[in-house]
Amino acid sequence: MKVQDSPWLQENKPFFQKLLAELLKQFPYASLLAQDGQQAAYSVNRRLSNLSASGLFADRGCVVKVSDGAHWTEYSFNRTGEDLLPSILEEIKAAAAMSSQLMPEHTTEPEYPIPQEEETVFSGSTDYEVDPLSVGDDVVLGKLTALRDQVLAKDERILDCSVRISWTRLSKLFLSPKKDLTQNVLWAEGGLTVMASRGEEVKSAHESVSCLGGLELLDQLEGHADSVTRTALDLLQAEAITPGTYDCICTPAVTGMIVHEAFGHGVEMDMFVKKRALAEQYVGKPVASPLITMRDSASAAAQTGSYFFDDEGTMAKDTVIIKDGILQTGISDWQSAMVLGTEPTGNGRRQSFRRKAYTRMTNTWFEPGKDKLEDMIASIEHGYLLEQPSSGMEDPKNWGIQCMVDVAREIENGKLTGRIYNPIVLTGYVPDLLKSISMVSEETVLSGSGMCGKGWKEWVKVSDGGPYIKAKIRLG
Amino acid sequence: MITKILHTLEALQIPVWAVEETVKESAEAFFIRKRLDLKRKTNTQDITVRLFRPMEKDGKAVLGTFTVPIRPGLTDAELEHTLAEAWSRTTVAWNPAYELYHGPKGSLQHSTSGFANASLEENLRAAADTIFGADTRENAFLNTVEIFANRTVQRVLNSSGTDVSWETMDVQGEYVTQCLAPADVETYHTFRLREPDWDTLRREVEEALTQTVDRASAAVPPKAGTYNVILSGDEVREVLTYYLYRASSNMVYQKYSRWSVGDKVQGEDIEGDAVSITLTSADPYDGEGIPLQDRPLMESGVLRTIHGGARFAYYLGIEPTGSYSVMQVPSGSVSLADMKKQPSLHVVSFSDFQMDDFTGHFGGEIRLAYLNDGETVRPVTGGSINGSILDAQKHLVFSQERYRAANYDGPLAVSIQGVAVAGAAE
Repeated sequence: MKVQDSPWLQENKPFFQKLLAELLKQFPYASLLAQDGQQAAYSVNRRLSNLSASGLFADRGCVVKVSDGAHWTEYSFNRTGEDLLPSILEEIKAAAAMSSQLMPEHTTEPEYPIPQEEETVFSGSTDYEVDPLSVGDDVVLGKLTALRDQVLAKDERILDCSVRISWTRLSKLFLSPKKDLTQNVLWAEGGLTVMASRGEEVKSAHESVSCLGGLELLDQLEGHADSVTRTALDLLQAEAITPGTYDCICTPAVTGMIVHEAFGHGVEMDMFVKKRALAEQYVGKPVASPLITMRDSASAAAQTGSYFFDDEGTMAKDTVIIKDGILQTGISDWQSAMVLGTEPTGNGRRQSFRRKAYTRMTNTWFEPGKDKLEDMIASIEHGYLLEQPSSGMEDPKNWGIQCMVDVAREIENGKLTGRIYNPIVLTGYVPDLLKSISMVSEETVLSGSGMCGKGWKEWVKVSDGGPYIKAKIRLG
Repeated sequence: MITKILHTLEALQIPVWAVEETVKESAEAFFIRKRLDLKRKTNTQDITVRLFRPMEKDGKAVLGTFTVPIRPGLTDAELEHTLAEAWSRTTVAWNPAYELYHGPKGSLQHSTSGFANASLEENLRAAADTIFGADTRENAFLNTVEIFANRTVQRVLNSSGTDVSWETMDVQGEYVTQCLAPADVETYHTFRLREPDWDTLRREVEEALTQTVDRASAAVPPKAGTYNVILSGDEVREVLTYYLYRASSNMVYQKYSRWSVGDKVQGEDIEGDAVSITLTSADPYDGEGIPLQDRPLMESGVLRTIHGGARFAYYLGIEPTGSYSVMQVPSGSVSLADMKKQPSLHVVSFSDFQMDDFTGHFGGEIRLAYLNDGETVRPVTGGSINGSILDAQKHLVFSQERYRAANYDGPLAVSIQGVAVAGAAE
């Protein structure tokens, strides 16, 4: 089934069209992005339960972008209606005129050409199997509660078990002189966290699930209960790792974090414009093992980073970033492409109508290889299997890696020993790590339960992943 | 809209509710090098309504809850439909009953910040003048600057009589500093000002430029091993958040923290500086409308307050203090200069330094550190630190010098013994 249009966007489209028409009387170019999001988030743990329709993407509003022929201005608002049209127009006019108020001495305002657009009319919706609105709240919370109880009953050392699931429907309308685009996207995500305590330390293990779709996801969490519980209890015996460089095998989730944090941010081409990305100098050069091909696409993968067009009205594309270890290109928003003289790749994304657009990843992954996981483990004399990524931070200028993982399982003489280490910090130089990849497993898995920030803000929904990879990594 | 919401809640006979409204205006500027790439303004209104249904489950009083955003501009019929539907969804997720905060009623408290005397554009321009005014070095420069000048008015109402509103003015943003030689490197910095303290901002930008120059000549990571690590600035606050979050009523109620008032939470026989923290706030109220007054969180390593909102306070039978994010900490016993005289690794820039409040582990990747090996001091980059507050807390030594940020006022630096460092040539 297809996700339905947003009634609010449809009802207000005449207002948005009128606003755009009025703006085009005053400015050589104007565009408008309106969004309407709906969410529901369910969660339970040992003592608490929660149900909320409020959240980051449960947001409704509009952003207007205008050009006076050379300079860009944006205005974000969420109070709409015919009666407010004059004041909105006045605010936009005032915003466009404020450059001289904001600019210190010796600063200038760059001149951008008026964009040339192709006539495009589009309307698209993603698919789902189970309509979230058709499943009763009691059914959803009942399943989460049953899973929580099942885990809590497994072992008295378990301090808590937290289970959550949420769905988001995000509809967008983009209007410009030559574009009239509508999209409706539905995704769902969930997670299971098991906590156990060792003195003052509270150790936790988690697993997440996500899909481009609806509450067909609801039954997927249950299959992880045993393994997450086992890992949480294993962590009670966790030791501190001896810092060093080791042969490591990364699970698809850890591979995804490396793909996203270590390399993905470095090929966001707004960083090329700012001369903040080392990758710009490496296009056409080897940056990874020949076993590695990396892609970013909102259209070629069905996950939480999927959409039909980006927040600047560019249709989603499928970008091959690394081909057989050679850096091919970066990903780009529209304004950066204008500066760089390249084609935008449909990666101009906003956290919401409240924020500006930057180049952002969508679904980003390494392609699968030909190795089997058991052969990969068997090939290691002394090393670790890295699981459960927790966070990472980009360094596009210097290609430094910081990724945190919660679990390192020791491998000795080709076998897992049962010893476990935590917490783990991965560091190093991105090309060194990527070039050290010597084995790649047969299946790529994408996970979309996290959020991506740019610096410390600008949160957007993404997915990332890959196969199991074997690489040399500095652990601390 | 608030009046319409209150009338509709009454008409629907909804007995327990809380409403939060945030009206925000901003002026924003995005510079690349010395060019204003984009300018923005925003004007938004957001309202969230939480509904509570008193019920009985297994002989115990419980509250069913549901939270719903209310869109600006809803018609009366749409508002009634939204709230009625939300009310019907309060029967599913329920928790032990508690009383919403019985707070004061009051008129809008205007901001007393120096920012309130100027327009958003003027505040933004003053910040831009300060930041670019510090960009005077030949070997390092500002790569990008983003500045947000904000005016926010928040209002909190509930069915227990609370009705408070207050205005906040601030200027925040981020800047990236770059140095081209001997290596092309950058460092990333954020700021948030509640007062127009331009001298501090200018000094921070100047220091950031100096650090970037040093990073350009920091070619190698420190050797792997165990170090006396000095942290400074925001990382000191991050370490102390362990005590802040472990003392929250949320953590205590859920038994993630076993702390109670009077506990020696820093341990017995403290050999370094005993930690004292005062909770404070620049805002008059928290998100539940609870007045925020200064409170001792810890005194000489002893816990004095379990803090948090009405719900967990009710469950624990303690006073609701409100939710705090600002920590005030007294100066330490040693000057930073004396700390740095000893063999140490002074990390001044991480990619992302984190304290795990559940495990007490802290760590991050080193972007720039100064390594004193007992003979020379040299900049290093790369590698990571990985420590535990549980191991380190008896030996913390704080600096006499102070550092002030929007959420912290305390020692500039802390020295931590015996921290594992993953580095080169191990």
